[in-house]
Amino acid sequence: MALRLLTRNLRNRISPNLCSASLLHSHATSFGFKEVREEEKSQMVGKVFSNVASNYDLMNDFMSAGLHRLWKDRLVSKLTPFPGMKHLDVAGGTGDVAFRILESINSIRRRALQDPINDDLQEETRIYVCDINQNMLNVGKNRALERGLGEDKSLVWVQGDAEALSFEDNSMDGYTIAFGIRNVTHIEKVLTEAYRVLKRGGRFLCLELSHVEIPVFKELYDLYSFSVIPRLGEVVAGDRESYQYLVESIRRFPPQEKFASMIADAGFQKVEYENLVGGVVAIHSGLKI
Amino acid sequence: MYRTAANRLLHHASLIKISAGSHLRRLPILGTVITSSRFSTTADLQTSPNQTFHPSDSSTSSSSSSTAGDDSRHGSKNPRAEYEEEQARVLQASLRHVIKFGWSEEAMITGAKEVGVSPSIVGSFPRKEAALVEFFMDDCLQRLIHRIDSGEELQQLIPSQRISKLVRVRLEMQAPHISKWPQALSIQAHPMNVPTSFKQRAMLVNEIWHAAGDEASDIDWYVKRTFLGGIYSTTEIYMLTDRSPEFRDTWLFLDDRVKDAFDLKKTIQEATYLAEAVGAGMGSSLQGFVGKVFQR
Repeated sequence: MALRLLTRNLRNRISPNLCSASLLHSHATSFGFKEVREEEKSQMVGKVFSNVASNYDLMNDFMSAGLHRLWKDRLVSKLTPFPGMKHLDVAGGTGDVAFRILESINSIRRRALQDPINDDLQEETRIYVCDINQNMLNVGKNRALERGLGEDKSLVWVQGDAEALSFEDNSMDGYTIAFGIRNVTHIEKVLTEAYRVLKRGGRFLCLELSHVEIPVFKELYDLYSFSVIPRLGEVVAGDRESYQYLVESIRRFPPQEKFASMIADAGFQKVEYENLVGGVVAIHSGLKI
Repeated sequence: MYRTAANRLLHHASLIKISAGSHLRRLPILGTVITSSRFSTTADLQTSPNQTFHPSDSSTSSSSSSTAGDDSRHGSKNPRAEYEEEQARVLQASLRHVIKFGWSEEAMITGAKEVGVSPSIVGSFPRKEAALVEFFMDDCLQRLIHRIDSGEELQQLIPSQRISKLVRVRLEMQAPHISKWPQALSIQAHPMNVPTSFKQRAMLVNEIWHAAGDEASDIDWYVKRTFLGGIYSTTEIYMLTDRSPEFRDTWLFLDDRVKDAFDLKKTIQEATYLAEAVGAGMGSSLQGFVGKVFQR
């Protein structure tokens, strides 16, 4: 609670500066295929996610035929969580990734139950779920209650901006961002912030919808995303625009190679990526030394 | 005199080969796990700007991406070595915890904590436990090479003794880990890890033969290495269940196997001579017989 207050204070202090700075030289950025002013994008994205929050997981299941669960599992298995970990999950409002990490840590703990050192460490485990959108965070908190994790001290819900994190330098062992970085206004700023908060040896992992280059599969995928998904959004969630934005923003996101070089430019080493389902999603990873 | 010079040369050659080998070994693994090895190899870095990975890009963006590649090429020379160094430090520290935790993630996490690096780094090893075992194997090989280079003790021994001495020196290195060694063997035998572990064993056997003064390059080369590989592995297995003080039984077993092998070599040689002699005898008598037939 104190932390959240602190965050809000920090944010309030930071955001006026940011706003004035960005107003001075406002660049055009993309909102889906539309060109919008930079300062508008975050508001528009905010609106999209406020709209979809309640149906978010239902729609994810529909759109990816349940595959997003496997993708998130893969992300967590690449992360290798451990007891006592300080982890930051950005744009993870609904808690999907955070719950998985916690589960993984708990199973490790069960394996080494006879070891009293690990028990103490377990107490120190902190998974910070950071999201800019309060509606998404509320969904996540409710789900934590449903899962009986409401009292768990390991989960910390923080409202915050990925471009200006309220965490200290060198304070995190891991950083994940799943299906989030596509929606931010400045990808570089997010990467720099990720690099800043990570400890030496900490890892950055990013799960994101990416680019398909396999010939026939690409056509099928495009057909599916532009014809099926917006309609699906209309029928299931009653919101066509938000899902139109979703498929368009995927196309505007830098391709795997380009994004990997952006991660490397932010200072990360051993930058790698793995395509899943032929590039529909990609997991990028980097190591801070 | 001549021989030591040749040996020295060979060692240098093999050292270079090993360092190159260990470098190369890492690349295919990365290549299979990741589609892009652009950031893990210098060679690829140089070629990648010329290849068009994303044809959909406009010319401006592709040129900007290639400059980004240039930047990382200049900058990454040192940092790349840096992260590998860091990983090596973590693995070195992890080895001390193998006795307690086995060849496992826990050992590596504890090791990382010990050197003051976030244990998250463990996730950056593509095949976690295997990386630890392989690091140990490489480390042992390096120590063996140092021992060979520095030790004069080998010079007085005959080849068969030299071989059993070297195998013994190498196996003694894994004696501290003997209780966890079956686990290491099972990790090495995992299909994903077989290529590397096989190569490491091949290099080890090669090194021992070189040190024993073998410079053959004919078909014998394969036979010799297969034999020694067999001896090494069986002794390694024997050692696992050896409860005698200081593995005395194991070393006896090893000596016997080496002796057997050399005897077998002698036997095979004798058999060949015999066959040659018989063949010659048969041949001449046949010739005589045919000659007689035709004379008549």
